[in-house]
Amino acid sequence: MTESSAAVLIVGEVATDRSLRPVSLELVTAGRRLAAAGAPLTALLMGDGLGDAAREFAAAGVDRLLVVDDPVLAATTPEAAATAVAQAIAATSAGVVLIPGTTAGRDYAPRLAARLGVGLAADATDFALDDGVLVATRPVLGGRVQSAVHLLARPALATVRAASFPKAEATGAGPEPEPLAVEFGPNDRRTSVLETAPKEAGPANLEAAEVVIGGGRGLKEPGNFRLVEELAATLGGAVGATRAVVDAGWRPHHEQIGQTGRTVAPRLYLAVGVSGAVQHNVGMQGSDYVVAINRDPDAPIFKLAAFGVVGD
Amino acid sequence: MNVVVLVKQVPDMNAVRIDRASGKLLLGGQQVVSSYDAHAVEEALRLKERLGGEVTVVTVGPAAAKDALSRALAMGADRALLVETPDANALDTLALARLLADHLRAIEFDLILAGQTADDYESGQVGAQVAEVLDLPLVSSAVELQTEDGRIVVRRDTEDGYQTVSVPLPAVVLASTGLNEPRYPSLKGIMAAKKKPLDRVAAEPEEAVARLSWDEPVVPERGAAGVVVQDVPPAEAARQLVAWLREQKLI
Ligand SMILES: Cc1cc2nc3c(=O)[nH]c(=O)nc-3n(C[C@H](O)[C@H](O)[C@H](O)COP(=O)(O)OP(=O)(O)OC[C@H]3O[C@@H](n4cnc5c(N)ncnc54)[C@H](O)[C@@H]3O)c2cc1C
Ligand SMILES: Nc1ncnc2c1ncn2[C@@H]1O[C@H](COP(=O)(O)O)[C@@H](O)[C@H]1O
Repeated sequence: MTESSAAVLIVGEVATDRSLRPVSLELVTAGRRLAAAGAPLTALLMGDGLGDAAREFAAAGVDRLLVVDDPVLAATTPEAAATAVAQAIAATSAGVVLIPGTTAGRDYAPRLAARLGVGLAADATDFALDDGVLVATRPVLGGRVQSAVHLLARPALATVRAASFPKAEATGAGPEPEPLAVEFGPNDRRTSVLETAPKEAGPANLEAAEVVIGGGRGLKEPGNFRLVEELAATLGGAVGATRAVVDAGWRPHHEQIGQTGRTVAPRLYLAVGVSGAVQHNVGMQGSDYVVAINRDPDAPIFKLAAFGVVGD
Repeated sequence: MNVVVLVKQVPDMNAVRIDRASGKLLLGGQQVVSSYDAHAVEEALRLKERLGGEVTVVTVGPAAAKDALSRALAMGADRALLVETPDANALDTLALARLLADHLRAIEFDLILAGQTADDYESGQVGAQVAEVLDLPLVSSAVELQTEDGRIVVRRDTEDGYQTVSVPLPAVVLASTGLNEPRYPSLKGIMAAKKKPLDRVAAEPEEAVARLSWDEPVVPERGAAGVVVQDVPPAEAARQLVAWLREQKLI
């Protein structure tokens, strides 16, 4: 990486309660690696009332922190967020832009790519630079295989899957947040967020359990969850589920594990008939030991498993 | 309420296998409607049943992709458009979105429904990029839709809980699996579909621009998998599993 090394912009995200999402700190690590040759690493944070989150982000080891603090961004709506990030790209001449692979990030990043007429790699899990070209690795076909995407146009955009990089540690106070003035147009205001209702919490034992048995569509019918429940009772554990079975109405929503469900990290996670989609894995990959039972030897869940049974 | 649904035909993911010897993907199974898109079609039909109007399904793909459209027609859609190109996956998502947008401009619609993500390459970009190219609002991860004087109110599944948003129509909404349970085509529906209009036009995508390129997918290393028990009777597999759990002091 010589003169082709590009300024890197990473975009953080705040949750509805204004806390900094952990993926923001993971992007610091990813961004720092790509800016290794001495290119500046600039961070951007968008929201309404960013004080604490901005301080935490600044302290994570970035060279600059731009903030867009505006009521329009009280929720990260796709059009307003694309407008703000486009402005930050212009202000920093960024050649590489990393965006969280969250629900919001996966909405505004494609809009931004279309607006700028550039390529975007979705849900990347790793990066390399090849002669100054950003190459992103992303899982496809249900996570069974990986594709390398070469982002030939600048700025190169990627959304980054949560839990792909370690979180950057706090380094001290960090740079003073710099407000970035963004002009929002009528289209940036046409999405109104009426309400965000936290999901029903369910029994607290799921996060605390030493053993979690996660059941998926491979269980074939809701009745077969009885076996999972019995096993959970025998092992003193709790029952979890994939979104596929929750959406099918087999299990209550509060048992869902994953990106839009709960995050567990038990001693033992026993996955039964679970394919191991990335959105499920982010909710359980912190488990000490994963055991998987699946009839497909190529199911991605086996990549996490210390013990696997191929069969049904 | 006129609704356009974007559907993609994909290989059946349950039938995808990896040949370890050659490291090649075996996409042997049937071609099907991508799973999220089936939920989008179902929701369009429910809106039509409540509010009237027409449902048009559109796909970009090879001649054989008309099977995906026929299925949607058999479920109850009114008309279909196949924008024919030998391999839709050879286009990047922005080229595909611009191509779709060119054809969507000629259709009268109040709402575009698409899937959250396609089952095969999972980019989750085409719907959002159609929204950007057509300058429409976008709502993703939809699990419930309601219309309300020229607006659509959508309940979405997000990291922070269920978010309810309202946007003016026309708009693009991306279906999640929690939205509904797609119906199976009835025999009557299948017969009726044969008489419904299914238009075909040749795709004229923009000149290839070097925004991005991608390599053939590769099979990752097996990874962490420690012990794998395969080809043994269930009782024996269970015995080995219990023995291993004891050894690790997990039970
Ligand atoms: C924005 C977004 C957010 C999402 N959030 C979440 C989330 O929070 N949590 C979540 O779980 N998912 C989430 N998903 C969905 C996720 O992508 C997957 O679709 C889902 O996790 C799949 O569930 P599954 O493993 O039960 O089903 P499938 O993927 O259908 O897998 C079933 C598995 O069972 C195996 N099997 C079949 N029959 C048998 C048998 N007889 N014996 C043994 N094994 C068998 C099959 O080989 C297969 O691997 C999200 C998706 C999106 C796009
Ligand atoms: N070739 C296509 N033809 C029509 N619609 C498509 C096509 N590819 C993708 N889409 C739509 O865009 C959604 C997201 O696709 P993707 O960005 O490829 O994950 C799909 O669920 C479809 O609704």
